[in-house]
Amino acid sequence: MTPQARSHRAAERAVLVCLCALFAAAAGIAYGYSLQDDLGPGAGFFPFWLGVIGAALCLVLLAQSLRGRAIGDGAEGLSPDRAGALRAAALLGGLVLTALLLEPAGFRATALVVTAGLLVALGVRRPLAIGAFALASSFGLFQVFHHWLRVPLPVGPFGL
Amino acid sequence: MDALAHLASGFAAALSPAYLVYAFAGCVFGTLIGVLPGLGPAAGTAILIPLTFQLDPTGAIIMLAAIYYGAMYGGTITSVLINVPGEAASVVTCIDGHEMAKQGRGGTALGIAAIGSFIGGMVATAALALIAAPLARFALKFGPPEFFALMLLGLCLVSGLAGRSLAAALLMTVLGLLVSMIGIDPVRGAPRFAFGIADLYDGLGIVPVVMGLFGVAEILITAEQPVRRIIRTSFAQLLPSRDEWARSWGAIVRGTGIGFGLGLVPGIGAIVPTFMAYIAEKRLSQTPERFGRGAIEGVAAPETANNAYANAAMVPFLTLGIPSSPTIAVLMGAFIVNGLTPGPFLFQERPDLVWTVIASFFVGNVILLVLNLPLVGLWAKILHVPFRYLAVGVAFFCVLGAYSLQQSVFDVWVMIGSGVVGYALRKLDLPLAPLVLGLILGPAIEKSLRTSLEMSGGDYGIFFTRPLCLALLIAAVAVLAGAALRLAPKELRAA
Repeated sequence: MTPQARSHRAAERAVLVCLCALFAAAAGIAYGYSLQDDLGPGAGFFPFWLGVIGAALCLVLLAQSLRGRAIGDGAEGLSPDRAGALRAAALLGGLVLTALLLEPAGFRATALVVTAGLLVALGVRRPLAIGAFALASSFGLFQVFHHWLRVPLPVGPFGL
Repeated sequence: MDALAHLASGFAAALSPAYLVYAFAGCVFGTLIGVLPGLGPAAGTAILIPLTFQLDPTGAIIMLAAIYYGAMYGGTITSVLINVPGEAASVVTCIDGHEMAKQGRGGTALGIAAIGSFIGGMVATAALALIAAPLARFALKFGPPEFFALMLLGLCLVSGLAGRSLAAALLMTVLGLLVSMIGIDPVRGAPRFAFGIADLYDGLGIVPVVMGLFGVAEILITAEQPVRRIIRTSFAQLLPSRDEWARSWGAIVRGTGIGFGLGLVPGIGAIVPTFMAYIAEKRLSQTPERFGRGAIEGVAAPETANNAYANAAMVPFLTLGIPSSPTIAVLMGAFIVNGLTPGPFLFQERPDLVWTVIASFFVGNVILLVLNLPLVGLWAKILHVPFRYLAVGVAFFCVLGAYSLQQSVFDVWVMIGSGVVGYALRKLDLPLAPLVLGLILGPAIEKSLRTSLEMSGGDYGIFFTRPLCLALLIAAVAVLAGAALRLAPKELRAA
């Protein structure tokens, strides 16, 4: 087995264990919602059985994995090269930063800063292109959605 | 006659200037989404929902349906030119479409795809108009047990056909159903899995989850990959030669039949009809060795089947309220956002809307043909936009789409979280479609199960004493048994 296949198998098992724990916890919580009441099945009936079935399926897949059968063929490639991983991490970081800043800083300021930062992080080195794209995705999108389509977007300090 | 009269009034509305503009805009945006790498039709349709907020429900649905069709066609362009399917249904088109592009026949490949899609779409929509109303009337006779069995069959079909492992697909279905339990219990009104968090009382929004699972996960995975080479091909000749026509027409007819027939089955997914249409052509061909080397039938058949499927999938959706694919699940979310519930009652309560939307499918197919044949060179140019800009733009559109649904940052967090989950699941080859359909159908399937058991006083015999319900349950078991048998030899080999 190649090192990549080994790490794929380890990640698969870790995810299955986490999912199994999640389903078991859900079944436990649902059990507390009452499985049956005077009118018929209670609020916990369906999620309880889903939790039980989900945990059982996780155990089946774990057993298959331990017997050497992977869920898929790992076509996506579990670990990308360093540059690829950094690009993906930058995008995810940009999304998280946007969610954190959106309401306190407003849509335009957030989009302006995060878009420009992301483009730099992804390797764009042309200031004019970065500036134009950042302006379009902040002030441009705000104009289209907030003013033309009447979709309320957050406005931060200084009306930005 | 009743259907024809309704359809005529639907056309009168669909051909009004405003609805024509919405259909046209939807086709343009949809094709653009299909062309952009890193954005499939499900996520694309989801992030464009805010564009329809200011429209009346009919206009909103017309535009979103046009986005759906446009995206289905747009995926073909990337399949042919960069060997990357814009969406799952275009996977098969890569095989011969990209070979044709490498031989300098990319224009013809895209031309026959547009023509085949048009024919498949028009025939399937005509059939939809004919059978939708009688089927909806029939579905009105369904009680909760039949609806439960029908939805169970849909979930079994999705699970049975998704991925390489039946257990993994079932696991994803159950996970989707469990996530849909978050929020207020639909029968008793008690909160579940909310943990005192006010945002969780309404459950997780379908649209942010789909945007995350498909949109965010897709751009993260695409960002990891090296830049792909785009084939520079000729668009001078879009129409096939006489010889190519002779080879294509049979493929188009068969593709229409296969796509429409399979589109009627809830939960079958777009990839199955396209593969079946391709395999049928290869088996029927007297020169099967040409397949994989640029055979035009290898493009005509799956592309026709794809669009016929896309239109036929509207039958179970509009008449039974069962979405057949993640993209239709997003459309269902848009219906719900607009205060509409797809299903048999919609034909009774809003026939004006249903028939206008059906008529707009015809109009949308014509617009797509007119738009795509002459403008194929322009769409191809969009592929040259560097991915860095596309990724940032798509990420921001996802944020905008998730936030604007309820002006809630919580939805943005749900989208980001779903994106990370979708990324991890895709890395492990765990199928996403069953998860999304489980999430969508969860509340309805739970409600029908519990209502059925309340009707029978807790007696499960209610599911086995009603003939239609029993037939649907037997079909569901047969689907799972068939899938288990299909996958069993692989397991034995692995053991």
